[in-house]
Order: sequence, then C-alpha cells, then structure tokens
Amino acid sequence: MVTNVTNLSRSGLYDWMAQRVSAVVLAAYVLFLLGYILLNPGMGYAEWHGLFSNNAMRIFSLLTLVALGAHAWVGMWTISTDYLTPTALGKWATVVRFLFQAACGIAMFVFFVWGVLILWGF
Amino acid sequence: MLLFGLDKSLSSEEGFAQVKECLTSPLAKFVIWGLLSALLYHLVAGVRHLIMDAGVGETLEGGKLGSKIVLVVSAIVIVLLGVWIW
Repeated sequence: MVTNVTNLSRSGLYDWMAQRVSAVVLAAYVLFLLGYILLNPGMGYAEWHGLFSNNAMRIFSLLTLVALGAHAWVGMWTISTDYLTPTALGKWATVVRFLFQAACGIAMFVFFVWGVLILWGF
Repeated sequence: MLLFGLDKSLSSEEGFAQVKECLTSPLAKFVIWGLLSALLYHLVAGVRHLIMDAGVGETLEGGKLGSKIVLVVSAIVIVLLGVWIW
C-alpha cells in the first residue's frame, strides 16, 4: 500500500483510477477540439468565440483543466518517485524531489487559474 | 503556449487574426507540430494502457505487439498532422 505523503490521494489505487478517468476526459477534449477545427476549416473569430462562450463548452473545458491538473500530478509524482531517488541522486534526493514536485504543483495551479481566467475573462 | 494561443485568439478579433497570422510562419508550424505530436503520441500510448487495463494483450508477445502498434499508429497520426498543418 502506498503511504507516501506526496501522492495525490494517499492511495495508490485511487491515484490509478484518477489517472485513468482524467485520461479519458483529456482524450475526449483533445479529440473533440481537433475534430471541431478539422471539420470547420477557415473558421473565423465569431465562430471560435461562440464555441467557447457556450456553457457546455465552458463546463467541458473546466473539467479538462481539473483533469489536466490531476493527471499531471499523478504522472509527475510517479516519475519523480521512480527516478529522483537516493539511488540516482544520493543524499540530496529528497530535497531535489520535493523541489521538483513543488515546481510541478505550482505550474499546475498556474495553468488551472490561467485557464479559468481565459474561459471567463473574455 | 497552447494556453497563450487560446487566450490571445479569444481576447479579440485582432488577437485571433494575430494568432492566425503567426501560425502561417514555418517555425510556428514546426513548433505546433512538435507540441501536438508529443500530445498525440501520449494519447495513443495512453489508449494502449487503457486497453491493457481491460486485460487485452497482457502477455509478453501481446505487449511487444501492442508497443509496435502504438509506434505505427502514432507515426501515421503524426504524419497526417503534419500534412494538415502544412
């Protein structure tokens, strides 16, 4: 059982599930947006603006932002606890790993807030 | 960068035109191609993970075959993406 304090939910199983659920949300959003742009060649500002003014699209976008934060955290946590270890880095590993995770956390928070500002700020 | 593009393109008519204009430059196209290639490869490989979670292709041979399929499918998607961008 995972008891590391830095993983998302203090439960490896829950993290595993969160990673998969958020993955499906992200995949759906990416495919939807790429498909939308592909099917609307030569799209103008009005159409683009209209798409993101739609409440359904705003909910979908916000859901994706949350999913991105969770997905990125689980992924980066996994990478950092796999590779930024005492075996690889010696006695400073914990400090390096903590700083790396802190930077990831800040980046995700910034992306989330910035995304919200974009969605509701225009 | 993608968020910045979204921000700019939604901010105003001029912002949208600016982003569109910027995306006509070969360098910008290459960068976008690179970003989206990484994203799509991650997506294809992620779908493989979900399929394997469902219990399909979990043997050693299945794993090897799956990874080859991921590479081939990703390569095709990335080439198509390049065709679309240019």
